[in-house]
Amino acid sequence: MVVHSDVVCPFCGCLCDDLEVTVEGDEIVGVKNACAISRSKFMNHGENRLQEPAIDGKKASLEKAIEEAAGILADAKRPLVYGLSSTDCGAIGRAVELAEVLGGVVDNTSSVCHGPTILALQQVGESKTTLGEVKNRADLVVFWGSNPTESHLRHLIRYSAMPKGMYVPEGRKGRYIVAVDVRTTRMERVADEFVKVDQGGDFELLLVLRAAVRGVKIKAESVSGVPRETIMELVRRMKGAKMGIIFFGLGLTQSDGRHMNIDAAVGLVTELNHHTKFLLTPMRGHYNVAGANSVTTWQTGYPYAVDFARGYPRYNPGEYTSVDLLAKEEADAAIVIASDPAATFPAEAVRHLAKIPVVTLDQKVTPTTMLSRVAIPVATAGVEAEGTAYRMDGVALRLSKVVEPEDGLLSDEAVLEAIIERVRALKGEVG
Amino acid sequence: MKELWLTPTALPSIPVEAEVICPDVVAGRTLKDVSSLEVYVGNKTHILGEFFEVEGELAEQASEQMIVVDGTCQTVKYIGAKMTAGSVHVKGCAGMHAGSQMSGGEMLVEGNTRDWAGAEMSGGLLRIQDDSRNMTGGAYRGSPEGMTGGCIVVEGDAGVELGSFMRRGMIVVKGDVAPFCGVHMNGGEIFIMGQAARRLGAEAKGNGGFIACLGGVDEILPTYVHETTYKPTFMKLYMRQLRDVLGLEEAARFLETPFRRYVGDLAVGGNCEILVAEK
Ligand code: SF4
Repeated sequence: MVVHSDVVCPFCGCLCDDLEVTVEGDEIVGVKNACAISRSKFMNHGENRLQEPAIDGKKASLEKAIEEAAGILADAKRPLVYGLSSTDCGAIGRAVELAEVLGGVVDNTSSVCHGPTILALQQVGESKTTLGEVKNRADLVVFWGSNPTESHLRHLIRYSAMPKGMYVPEGRKGRYIVAVDVRTTRMERVADEFVKVDQGGDFELLLVLRAAVRGVKIKAESVSGVPRETIMELVRRMKGAKMGIIFFGLGLTQSDGRHMNIDAAVGLVTELNHHTKFLLTPMRGHYNVAGANSVTTWQTGYPYAVDFARGYPRYNPGEYTSVDLLAKEEADAAIVIASDPAATFPAEAVRHLAKIPVVTLDQKVTPTTMLSRVAIPVATAGVEAEGTAYRMDGVALRLSKVVEPEDGLLSDEAVLEAIIERVRALKGEVG
Repeated sequence: MKELWLTPTALPSIPVEAEVICPDVVAGRTLKDVSSLEVYVGNKTHILGEFFEVEGELAEQASEQMIVVDGTCQTVKYIGAKMTAGSVHVKGCAGMHAGSQMSGGEMLVEGNTRDWAGAEMSGGLLRIQDDSRNMTGGAYRGSPEGMTGGCIVVEGDAGVELGSFMRRGMIVVKGDVAPFCGVHMNGGEIFIMGQAARRLGAEAKGNGGFIACLGGVDEILPTYVHETTYKPTFMKLYMRQLRDVLGLEEAARFLETPFRRYVGDLAVGGNCEILVAEK
């Protein structure tokens, strides 16, 4: 029996780094400190696995599958490389390289989650922090359009609400927690104050808060269903905090207004910094989506939706984003790494995905592997393979390997490397 | 003006990037040269002649050159992009980035245009006789300046973020506009003759810029304040110009109309004006 300590959890953007995983032989028999989601993922990581490489649903050798994948991609005029938020940074780097070799588009799941955040941050900037700083200093924590009690179970315990910090020695008692959402969630019980805002009204509320911080007298009795007194009280608290932070989730990025909501939130935080220290951090869902953005940025200059068709990187969300490329029936082949677009994309995009040849690298059987021409099983990063991942606040952490993968199972990075090599050879032969 | 005629033959489903459909590029060349100009389809390079029949006459100077695209080209991107002079006439629809970053000359699209038509344009006239999609006359992502000059006329409806980060220039929409029109506006003029959706002028600093809503608004942001209702003299001058120079007859109806004047966006300390015509 081996006990691995300080294991980093590869299942959500919190990347908790204090797990204790007990392994007997090749089996995980116990997980300590993890949340329910993480525990079940660790314990069941062997279930529903993609058994062997397959071409058109028929079993094939790994070499054959790689050869077929490379052939499909090298032939394509508008290949799409997509996914990447649930794998390690090494694989992401390879995926960017593959897109460059192919003259294709590389995009990650940001385009359907926090893409709007990135657009806004490019427009108006960002004041960043680490979760460690939040734990040690923040005395006002706002969750906007985000419900960590369901999506990031240990966020409140480890970073934002409960822990005793250097300058917040009383822990939970030393913090004032506000939750803003369009519907009542469990955060209502966790938070000191729950602000219910009308559906699609976040943008107006953020603007009014910003104006009030600037000292503008608010004339309206209520904004987006929130009474003026509540707004003014919140402004007083925000200005009076020693350090405040807004954590925002998909409730803000994917609701009416999208990137403009974040634009307004950043504006509010900028304004508050004239009075006190205030920050904001997106609640990233997939554990390494922050890494996907970082790696793509340092290699191409852009965080997602990067097109190499002309030989150099170009960036334009709305044009080179996967959903747009698929819905407009532009992509003529795709390789999906560690993601399940067939289950998460809008119907018209999935319809086109089902029409074109798709190569998928995944551990499990998913709707996407089922519609793929080539499906290649891989080792799970953070369980069966090492690697690096970025936490939601941009801190890089090392993922560990706690069990050996099945015989012949390679990491995403190794499979991508083999595909790149074959594509290079094919392209060399062609031209 | 000399006319070069491009008739689309078989366009592929993957868009063709054809920034060469521009008077500046074709002027001074021979028909054969023009036909072998490079265009891009996905990661492959093709020549213009593969997708268009090339006929007509070529001028020495861009300013003497007219390009007529005789057909619909919804999947042809960058038509007329970066043109500085001359004219482009598309007798159908045009793909993304039509007339983007143009600085002079005239472009007319008889059908509709896709996203980013006239984006970041700095001069010239772009006229779209049907609908235009999102980001018309807007800024590319991450850029702090959208349109800095010139004029865009949309005779149909326009999509979201029309004139985002606009600095100077003028946009007129005959139909309705979607939300976030004139977002982050920092100068320039926008006229909307149809219905304006909510959140117009969001986070606009103003800088002398205004949005005139002639056909009503869904909602004004709570960070704009109503100051007064009056008949601005300058509006009369603008309406005459719209009627006489741009041929928008409807403008004549508003020569004597009083306007409600809203100022904002107070969230950014802005002094942008939204002028709403009284019914
Ligand atoms: S909160 Fe997230 S990172 Fe932490 S244990 Fe749960 S799933 Fe893993």
